[in-house]
Amino acid sequence: MREIRTTLSAISMILIHLMIFFISPENALADSRKSPVVINLAGGDYGYPTPFSHYPRGPGIYKMFLIFDSLLEKGENGHIPWLAEKWDISGDGRVYTFHLKKNVQWHDGAPMTAADVKFSFEYFSRHPAVSDDLNIDGKSFIQKIHVTDTHTVSIHVEKPFAPCLGKIGRSRIIPKHVWEAVSDPRTFDDPKAVIGCGPYVLKAYNREQGAYQFAAFPGYWGPKPRVDVIQFVPVSDEILAFHAGEIDLTGVAPDLIKKYADNPDYQIRQNPGFWGYRLILNLEKRPEFRDKTLRQALATAIDRNELVQKVARGAAIPASAGYLPRDHVWYNSRVREYDFDTDRAKALLQGKTMSVDLLISNTRDELRIAELMKISLARAGIHVTVKSVDMKTRDAAIRNSDYEMVLNGHGGWGMDADLLRTVYAGGKSVNQSPFSDAIPGYSHPKINDLCERQHVEMDEIRRRQMIFELQELIAEGIPQIPLYNTTGHVVYRPARYNGWRYMFDHHDMTHNKLSYLTPAK
Amino acid sequence: MNAARISLAIILLVTAAGIFSQWVAVHPHNLPSGNALEAPSPNHWLGTDDLGIDLWAQICHGAGVSVLVGVSAALLAGIGGSLIGMLAGYLGGIADRITMRMTDMMIILPDLPTMIVLGAFFGPGLINIILVLALFSWTGTARIIRSRILSMKQEQYIAAAQSYGAGFVHLAKTHFIPGVLPIALASIIRLTGRAIVAEASLSFLGLGDPTSKSWGLILNHAINFKGIYFMDCWKWWIMSPLVAILILVGAFAILARENETSAVSAFQK
Repeated sequence: MREIRTTLSAISMILIHLMIFFISPENALADSRKSPVVINLAGGDYGYPTPFSHYPRGPGIYKMFLIFDSLLEKGENGHIPWLAEKWDISGDGRVYTFHLKKNVQWHDGAPMTAADVKFSFEYFSRHPAVSDDLNIDGKSFIQKIHVTDTHTVSIHVEKPFAPCLGKIGRSRIIPKHVWEAVSDPRTFDDPKAVIGCGPYVLKAYNREQGAYQFAAFPGYWGPKPRVDVIQFVPVSDEILAFHAGEIDLTGVAPDLIKKYADNPDYQIRQNPGFWGYRLILNLEKRPEFRDKTLRQALATAIDRNELVQKVARGAAIPASAGYLPRDHVWYNSRVREYDFDTDRAKALLQGKTMSVDLLISNTRDELRIAELMKISLARAGIHVTVKSVDMKTRDAAIRNSDYEMVLNGHGGWGMDADLLRTVYAGGKSVNQSPFSDAIPGYSHPKINDLCERQHVEMDEIRRRQMIFELQELIAEGIPQIPLYNTTGHVVYRPARYNGWRYMFDHHDMTHNKLSYLTPAK
Repeated sequence: MNAARISLAIILLVTAAGIFSQWVAVHPHNLPSGNALEAPSPNHWLGTDDLGIDLWAQICHGAGVSVLVGVSAALLAGIGGSLIGMLAGYLGGIADRITMRMTDMMIILPDLPTMIVLGAFFGPGLINIILVLALFSWTGTARIIRSRILSMKQEQYIAAAQSYGAGFVHLAKTHFIPGVLPIALASIIRLTGRAIVAEASLSFLGLGDPTSKSWGLILNHAINFKGIYFMDCWKWWIMSPLVAILILVGAFAILARENETSAVSAFQK
């Protein structure tokens, strides 16, 4: 009898333990984790996400970044170690030695080694990527690359320069065993072309629908992906799609914020002002723009506050005439401002009038900006003919300098201040992203000189001083007119997914790879 | 016939509103005259858009654009199509066969998608829109006129005129044009309605003149305004161009129907 009792009590103990195990909170969490987290976002075709064939705008660049990792990644406060767990810079600033993470594998299972890193940089110097970071004035700054062992690689640069680490660190690493046989990477659209060592694998891409599907890579070396599947789906109206639950995050107009503000089901975040519109003048096609007074008159004749209020509905800040936006770490608040004043613009023009063509893309905001600028410029005597084309045609026209005056809206305004060199000092960039678009025909000896000096200045305080001075010179000469930087809001349902994070210099949380990964402790 | 008169009156009213828009509307159609998204009020009858521009003024100005585009495209297509139809019917043979195969080809091509491609190719602008619309609208008229000419050619008075040495120009002036005018007119009126809708569609898709303030473009700006469906402003901003298009196109449709009915009954007498 005692034996039976002992056996029964043993069985009940086991049962109790089993019950505790199955209903414990940890286990409940494990169960909830079993259902895959699928995030849907608004789609649009931005090309096949390889480093050579994506469209050179944010949504194209950052989709490719999900597949391809780099030595460093952008964190919330600066660059963070990524494929390189640590690095050393030689005393003369010419040798960067990267110690790579171990156990990194490509999506096809092959190990990622220092040979792949060496190959990637060498391949990019022969075939620059769409978002190229390794060429300065049309020439690769990398002198040679030395593989010390499987996980150590040294990169020798021609001369030390300030943004060097960021440029090397941001370059994608591509698999040698795939790309070494590829002679024309731009036309290489094999499924192998999207083998990377990043956290996501491209599962589906439909060019016509602008739809993409990325799935978490189970063998990822780094932080575990929190989102199992990221889908970019076609939608006609983002807000309606968000309400219907078709997408999980959307930009929201300031007029609608009230609708979400007091509702705990929604979370609203405001983007930093690193996306903006600028009016680029073509000094080659219209030599009149070489006249500084005319450019100042243009800047004075445009009411940027009106653009902010009416087009951005208040969710923007007038851009600094010195280009670096107000949210930039090196923004100089003492630059010359061009307050809207038609009479002053007329006085600067001294009775002269001019007619000029303005090229825009046919998006709603650009049409409205063009319409308002046309009205205010006409009051000052500058008659604008608006020509609207689709975005890709406009972008191509900018690359070919085929315009008189063009309106361009793009991101990247929060990047390293060296971007002033590419935009204002005519630095030849092979990077196709719109933030590298220079001002055709503009050259100012003092600006050129300062741009070159800041580029090679390794002392951060001195470089910061130079950048401040540069912004003052730029604002004074105003060779292009920065209009405004958007600070739009985004809304999402935190119960659905709450991992959204910003990068330190970028405006869009959905572009941030870290948004989809488990945060570091 | 009453319906035709009412339609004609509506068309004339809308045309007059377009021509005299700067007097019909107190505010300018191209300059802000109030705050953004003002609701309809005695000052702004139809409210204002996102830039603070009076919508009534824009609708009046847009009437001019719509009528201009509609009538020009329809006249161009109607006259061109009639001429081609007359020549094809009169000449017969290879000329007829080439013309008819061309009309077959144009009929097979889907209008709106091809117009979108051409609109994108030639670039936005009113003249381009008119040309593209005309290019796609002449075929129907040409076919009808050709068949009318073919039957007229069998008439004895035509044969008699020809035997006295009458050439195409003389025959066209004295017999063909008076004979086909009612059909051509009916076809032109029908085309006008179609052209107005096509212009609105192209502008709505962003392929029109970006600063023309046509009804399609007003609708385009309204619908592309972020979150408009959750705001009150759709009631005046989307509805006004939509109702304007409906009224004008409806009037043209009724007029075309009435005109066609009377043309057919006159023909049957």
